[in-house]
Amino acid sequence: MADTYKVTVNGQHHLTVDPSQPTTLLEVMEEAGLEPHYHCRDGFCGACRVQLVKGEVSYITDPLAFIRPGDCLACCCTPISDIEIQQ
Amino acid sequence: MRYSTFNKNPVNPLHEPMFFGNSVNVARYDQQKHAIFEKLIEKQISFFWRPEEVDVSRDRVDFQGLTESEKHIFISNLKYQTLLDSVQGRSPNIAFLPIVSIPELETWVETWSFFETIHSRSYTHILRNLFTDPSDVFEDIVINTEIQKRASDISKYYDDLIFYTQLWQTQGEGEWEVRGKKYTVNQRELKKRLFLCVNSVNALEAIRFYVSFACTFAFAERDLMEGNSKIIRLIARDENLHLVSTQQIINLWQYGKDDPEMQEIAEELREDARDIFMSAVAQEKEWAHYLFRNGSMIGLNEEILCQYVEYIANMRMEAIGFDAPFEQRSNPLPWMNKYLVSDNVQVAPQEAEITSYLVGQIDSEVSAEDLGDFEL
Repeated sequence: MADTYKVTVNGQHHLTVDPSQPTTLLEVMEEAGLEPHYHCRDGFCGACRVQLVKGEVSYITDPLAFIRPGDCLACCCTPISDIEIQQ
Repeated sequence: MRYSTFNKNPVNPLHEPMFFGNSVNVARYDQQKHAIFEKLIEKQISFFWRPEEVDVSRDRVDFQGLTESEKHIFISNLKYQTLLDSVQGRSPNIAFLPIVSIPELETWVETWSFFETIHSRSYTHILRNLFTDPSDVFEDIVINTEIQKRASDISKYYDDLIFYTQLWQTQGEGEWEVRGKKYTVNQRELKKRLFLCVNSVNALEAIRFYVSFACTFAFAERDLMEGNSKIIRLIARDENLHLVSTQQIINLWQYGKDDPEMQEIAEELREDARDIFMSAVAQEKEWAHYLFRNGSMIGLNEEILCQYVEYIANMRMEAIGFDAPFEQRSNPLPWMNKYLVSDNVQVAPQEAEITSYLVGQIDSEVSAEDLGDFEL
């Protein structure tokens, strides 16, 4: 397991995630000062949907919103590899 | 095909489509074709609340202090919400239950509709507190032309599906003449009507509620009408869940994970589905215009509200596979999110603040200081 994972947002912001911390992708984006979309922060509204261009995520909470292929829900997932997302 | 309340033929619900298969007989949830609906039921039930739990008594004083244009905004929104929930409290039951064919979805529809009736009851709770006799407000919902315009668009797809289902149940497939008008009833026609109806409900849950939510929360941002805002927060949380269910149904069809014929129809009627959404957006903007016709309120005007409708519409349309039609990519009302966050992260389940936690809850954390000014 790598020490940290890289998260590339819209090809321009480069963030790092420490997999030992229970932070969600949404929180990582917020900490970096990006303004990601969100409503419920609990996986059931789908407002935080982002395109997962590359890499893999794992879900901390079981999401209820439909996840279309190529999308992920930032509020309840965390990267498990280096990822590239588009929002 | 005549409907039976208990289908005596043994059927395996795991092999049934969501709609228009064999009607459900045993209500069993140990196995599910689409487990998502069972999860939605559990989530929705965990959200249970009663309007009476929320104290709205301070709102009456706040309401007296509002300007006339603000009173118009507040009351008009409540009227519109009352209309929406009057429709939603009955229509999913009447339209979908006769044609649903898997138990978890059947129960989801009932649970969903039941929660809409809680919302309807909460509008009465709010209005009864503001007016000694709220009859004028309720009576105006049926005769107000601005509300009527929306009512007919909201109910027409339901009414159409219900009528075709009734013809199919009583006459079967074929060409039927009813009061001089000819109707072609077959599986394909029925499914098309179902598809349009679900898309219309999806648009309703996705954006129609949000114009009035924004107004309510704009009052709350000024520390006004906070009881009302607390109720609307609970309603918004429920509506989010209802929206997820219609998005799930539409996506399951689109991705061919249910009835293959519904996948064809989703493709065939794609533009109609888009039109339904876009006309709901246009109507909501008109509604924003009507709300602010006597003047704006602090923190909100017609323009910002219309931008918010576009922002929400982009998000909702992408969720069902359309491209975002509007330029508005950033949230013009960032404070809205604060009211839409679900606060049910159960850090400590005994915390009384967690609204989705069980009934009869008390906060048992009482420290000695809390009794500091207490004298015997």
